[in-house]
Amino acid sequence: MSAQAPLVNIRNLVKHFGSVAAVDDVSLQVGEGEFLTFLGSSGSGKTTTLFIVAGFEDPTAGDVEIDGRSVLSVKPNERNIGMVFQRYTLFPHMTVAQNVGFPLMVRRRSKAEIDKAVKEMLDLVQLGAYAGRKPSELSGGQQQRVALARALVYKPRILLMDEPLAALDKRLREDIQQEIRRIHRELGVTILYVTHDQEEALRMSDRIAVFSHGKIAQIGSGADLYERPADAFVAGFIGNSNFLQGSVVQSQQDQVAVRLDDGTVIRGNTRHPLAANARVRLMIRPERLALAPSNDQVDQSLDVTLSDTTYLGDMLQHEVVTAWQQRITVRTNDRAAASSAGNALKLHFASTDVMVFEDGNRATA
Amino acid sequence: MLLNLNRMGPGRYVLYGIGVLTALFLLLPVAFIAALSFGSSQWLQFPPPGWTLKWYAAIFNDPRWVESIWTSVKVAFTVMVLSIALGLPAAFALVRGKFPGRTLLHAFFISPMIVPVIILAIALYVFVLKFGLNGTFIAFVAAHLIVALPFSVICIVNSLEGFDESTEKAAIVCGATKAEAIFRVTLPAIRLGIFSAALFSFLASWDEVVLGIFMASPTLQTLPVRMWTTLRQDLTPVIASVSTLLIALTIVIMIITAFLRRRYAR
Amino acid sequence: MFEAISNNPYRNLRAPRVGLRRLRPALPALIFLFVFMVVPLSSLLLLSVTKPETGLGNYISLLGDATYARVLLNTFIIAALVTLVTLVIAYPVAWLLAILPSRVSQIFFAIILLSMWTNLLARTYGWMVLLQRTGVINRALMGVGLIDQPLPLINNLAGVTIGMTYIMLPYVILPLHATISGIDPAIMQAAAITGAKPRQIFWHVMLPLSLPGIGAGCMMVFVMALGYYVTPALLGGTSNMMLAEMIAQQVQSLLNWGLGSAAAFILLAVTLVFYAIYVRAIGLGRVR
Repeated sequence: MSAQAPLVNIRNLVKHFGSVAAVDDVSLQVGEGEFLTFLGSSGSGKTTTLFIVAGFEDPTAGDVEIDGRSVLSVKPNERNIGMVFQRYTLFPHMTVAQNVGFPLMVRRRSKAEIDKAVKEMLDLVQLGAYAGRKPSELSGGQQQRVALARALVYKPRILLMDEPLAALDKRLREDIQQEIRRIHRELGVTILYVTHDQEEALRMSDRIAVFSHGKIAQIGSGADLYERPADAFVAGFIGNSNFLQGSVVQSQQDQVAVRLDDGTVIRGNTRHPLAANARVRLMIRPERLALAPSNDQVDQSLDVTLSDTTYLGDMLQHEVVTAWQQRITVRTNDRAAASSAGNALKLHFASTDVMVFEDGNRATA
Repeated sequence: MLLNLNRMGPGRYVLYGIGVLTALFLLLPVAFIAALSFGSSQWLQFPPPGWTLKWYAAIFNDPRWVESIWTSVKVAFTVMVLSIALGLPAAFALVRGKFPGRTLLHAFFISPMIVPVIILAIALYVFVLKFGLNGTFIAFVAAHLIVALPFSVICIVNSLEGFDESTEKAAIVCGATKAEAIFRVTLPAIRLGIFSAALFSFLASWDEVVLGIFMASPTLQTLPVRMWTTLRQDLTPVIASVSTLLIALTIVIMIITAFLRRRYAR
Repeated sequence: MFEAISNNPYRNLRAPRVGLRRLRPALPALIFLFVFMVVPLSSLLLLSVTKPETGLGNYISLLGDATYARVLLNTFIIAALVTLVTLVIAYPVAWLLAILPSRVSQIFFAIILLSMWTNLLARTYGWMVLLQRTGVINRALMGVGLIDQPLPLINNLAGVTIGMTYIMLPYVILPLHATISGIDPAIMQAAAITGAKPRQIFWHVMLPLSLPGIGAGCMMVFVMALGYYVTPALLGGTSNMMLAEMIAQQVQSLLNWGLGSAAAFILLAVTLVFYAIYVRAIGLGRVR
């Protein structure tokens, strides 16, 4: 992030619904022009946080600052924030052009100015030909693009998007994701984006804040979250992962040796120093694993039995089973490794690809 | 099969027969009155010995009929306006509010539909007599409003439930004030529901007989009350012509409604 | 709890305490109904136990006196009869409407709406004229030689049943039509492919699946018929007077306010009992 003051500063935000903390001490800064995604499962507090920024929810504690000034006392319609909702929220009785012109109409702009801005915005979302249609005559994807145009027509500095693509099918979703990226680049608007789809988050965002139980589990770029997850939860939430149980033999700074249940010792990395004999979980990404015949000598390995191979087109996915009957997924495009079920194999991997986490009581997604 | 006309076999002719007979049964009194109203026989002979418009002339030459029509229009129109004025905010509370006893309140608002009208009528009769309101415009309006309000609440609640509240929020985030959002977005979006509410409220009042009978005085009568008192004495053909006018009004309303529904269908 | 709240932030934007504030818009309607419905009904209840003297005397004489008990019995018999006749006619009609091409069924629906929306007195007047001794129906029947003497069709059970069935038909046809149209034809195809004959499909599949509509329609008609006033008063006879008519007579003509109010409360209680059964079975949400 830039050295200058953040555009949005969320400080120690707390929101209780009755006795339940939906948002539990959330703090984050958003830079001007940044695309920041709140990623989490339903009930993780991401949408509630977004609604507090929009002004539709009052926080129980904490503050939201925009440009260094608290906006908690500012009504939603005076915050000059754009927002696209999960459901299609076009005004059903107005045409597409009237919908997009609405924010300018309530701002009492002249008709000429409104017409010009509407045309510009509809061209931006490539719906210029649909100006006279009613929302009911548009597809879901088109409706959300109109909603996007409506949210941007008054040039807000901040655009909030609450799972805007959740109701669309996969192909359409990917098209509109690209369109949102393009618009973000062209306009330089700051976007706060909520989704539960990690692939969408990785594809679109500059940074991702992973929400869990009302807290931010980790915030960082997609590569940060994937390569250096803060804990087992983030590791499990972003991308596919294999988890193994073990206890620490020895730990030195970020290097750690772990003994698995069958006695095998594996070396890996940790972000926090770990005490000897502490119970830990090891995480290895399926694509960082390789298979070799069991008589090969390799640096660091585990004896396994192949149970199933699935052809995925660009890759092969193998299910292997350890001596203590734990299933591990391996993804590789090494066709030579193909083998028939029941064969004994060696699973090998680099110690830098093994992440070791304290075995907290947090569930893995 | 049983839900496919072509594959149902001979059984479908039984259904056709019942269908045609029922349609005739439903049309019979309506068509019969309309024909009778143009017949010249004082004794309601059918087929009539000749044709005439004198029964229609009789309505408009009798100030009691004209006055009762005028009273009905005034009452029904006032009831319609009040029914929307009370029903619209009530529907917002019922749909948007999250307070304990919301379902109970809903049930209370539609309860006048369940309580037999005769009971409401005598209860109100006793009530207005006590306050000397019998035979007044206010008594008619209050009585009719009780039975009109459920229609208003039901129509508006239904359309408001079909309207996503986040659309209103979208308007607010776009810069509209709460009032602007409601008047420019929410109300126009549910206008078909409000229109139905107004129509049904008007009709509920316009057609109300029982409450009218107990609210009326010899000097102030609605059209149905006038028809009722006349009917209890004899079956004059004038009633046929009044009824035919009412049937024509029904048809006009049906056509307007169908037209509006088609035009504003989402 | 937590899930429900955060999954749906749109609906739960306000905490319960603030929610009470949202009750405020309902207050005008609430106050109106309280003053003009609850208060009059309560004072009526009071009348029923105070006039002419304090106590349950009115209720005792209503339920004890043979004349009054007969009226009560009559009311139930007529309501049940009308419900039965209406259902027997409405079921095939609703069925037909569900399978007719929509252009034809539209016409039928228009006829239903026309009859339903036509002024009640206009319709009843039509039947009074049609059914009278010298009316078209009697003359037609005599004309074709089916009868020698005019049939007594008015001011008796026949008149009430015809008139009330006419009024109630739409209230059963419409919900039944909705239920039958909602049945998935594939279910019947499944029954047929497994070997059921059409008659068996009707009794074992279609009829059970249309029970919700039958229940809703019948209950509505029965409850409405129990308290009906205008049609029985005009088409019925003195020997089969219904409760509503008796209430009106006691209050209006005989000025017997106590007895009239007591009868009204018996009617109200019966209505509410059946209504409660109806709500139990169908749910308040569907009551419209």
